[in-house]
Amino acid sequence: MRTTLWIWICIGVLYGGAMDSSEAKIELGHRLFYDADLSINGTMSCATCHEQKNAFTDGNIAHPGALGHEGKRNVPGLSNIGLFKNLTWANPYVSGLAQQALMPISGTNPIEMGMSGYEDEIAKRLRQNECYQKLFALAFGEEEESINLNNVTQALESFQKTLISNDSLYDQKIKNHQPLPTKEAQEGEKLFFGAAKCNLCHTAPLFSDDDFHHVQLHKLPIDNKTEDNGLFEATGKVKDRGFFRTPSLRNAALTAPYWHDGSAKTLIEAIQQHNLTINHKLSEKEMQKIVAFIQTLNDNSFVTNPKFGKPSNDCTH
Amino acid sequence: MKKALYIGLLCIGLFAKEVDLSAELSAWKSLSYKTAAKDSNGTLSAILELNKASYVGLINTPKIQYVSRPTNEGGSVSYGGMFQVEIKQKGIYRVSLGNASWIELVKDGKLATSAAHQRGPQDSGIRKIVDYALESGVYTLQLSASGDSATALLITKIK
Repeated sequence: MRTTLWIWICIGVLYGGAMDSSEAKIELGHRLFYDADLSINGTMSCATCHEQKNAFTDGNIAHPGALGHEGKRNVPGLSNIGLFKNLTWANPYVSGLAQQALMPISGTNPIEMGMSGYEDEIAKRLRQNECYQKLFALAFGEEEESINLNNVTQALESFQKTLISNDSLYDQKIKNHQPLPTKEAQEGEKLFFGAAKCNLCHTAPLFSDDDFHHVQLHKLPIDNKTEDNGLFEATGKVKDRGFFRTPSLRNAALTAPYWHDGSAKTLIEAIQQHNLTINHKLSEKEMQKIVAFIQTLNDNSFVTNPKFGKPSNDCTH
Repeated sequence: MKKALYIGLLCIGLFAKEVDLSAELSAWKSLSYKTAAKDSNGTLSAILELNKASYVGLINTPKIQYVSRPTNEGGSVSYGGMFQVEIKQKGIYRVSLGNASWIELVKDGKLATSAAHQRGPQDSGIRKIVDYALESGVYTLQLSASGDSATALLITKIK
């Protein structure tokens, strides 16, 4: 009996401290997410636009690329992004977060990190770093070519799948069967799930139905940009013109400005821009109540968790 | 290297369109050359003066030991560097920059919080303007994640 116990202790010591390949992928993805060597001139990492304090958005209407090209759409938040089937604002054909990562890295519409035609440069840069050599080996095996763009995007996917936000006041209310802390938020919750029917598209628990809709009031594009045709650009189907994916409302109070074009500075403005019959009947006070409810979807632990923040320079492997 | 920087200075002078800059930015039109420091000791000879625009030579990022780890450090192919600036009076100060480098002001290990940021006037050669509320004292100005090995820089007091 005692011998068996010692064997288990030894196994624990030997393997408990070691990192398995899934953990290594997550840690590798975490480092890569904050590494500006993924951009052409080393000025831009994923985290340049996806800042943790803003629930992985950046507070701008759209972010210019590494070479100064205009941003096309508002930076989407990454709360629970691993649970979404449809990624980005308006593209149903992106197969997963690994494929999506290529859009900012080497995409050309818009040019963001500017690596189109220079993809091999990424592996060359990363191979210079001893920590990456160890992490890629742990995550993908010792093969000589394990440091490659495909594995970079796989690791980024692994990290982004850990970006779970489920500890807001609303979540705590559900877990503990307690009411929301303020009367305004309680009334906002009733409206959200009741008369205002917000939940039809902003469906709990993701607070998005992960589907595409055309619900924005028609207006001229801001900043002299040409009109954004949304889903039509990916599908080529006329009926998809103006359709965009429902954004999640988790941590939405931290992710202004709103809509794909960043045209709403506040949540109230964002609500007002819905071209829905029900919207036209909502009073200013009712909208404020809905906003008070949306604010209870803020998850402080999500925006302060060091596991999602900038990694230390030290390499512990 | 230095030759290229002087050519750069000349080009800015020749090709920048005449733009009506506000009083606090008028110094932008005459630049003098300065090299950034790569570590805290070096900042003693990389001193910026208020209201005097500089064309600053930057250093390849892996060679820099910042006083405070920048929020956006930049990759191995980017550039950055540090400068010292003395603030004699508490107030709002404006940092104007010719490119989109990340700007941070550090004093006693603490980062100054930016109060506002904007783009420079069109065709002015100013890419980025950030305002900071600063106390009196000596600050280290850190530039990081620059895509260029040189850029123009100006600090002015606006309030």
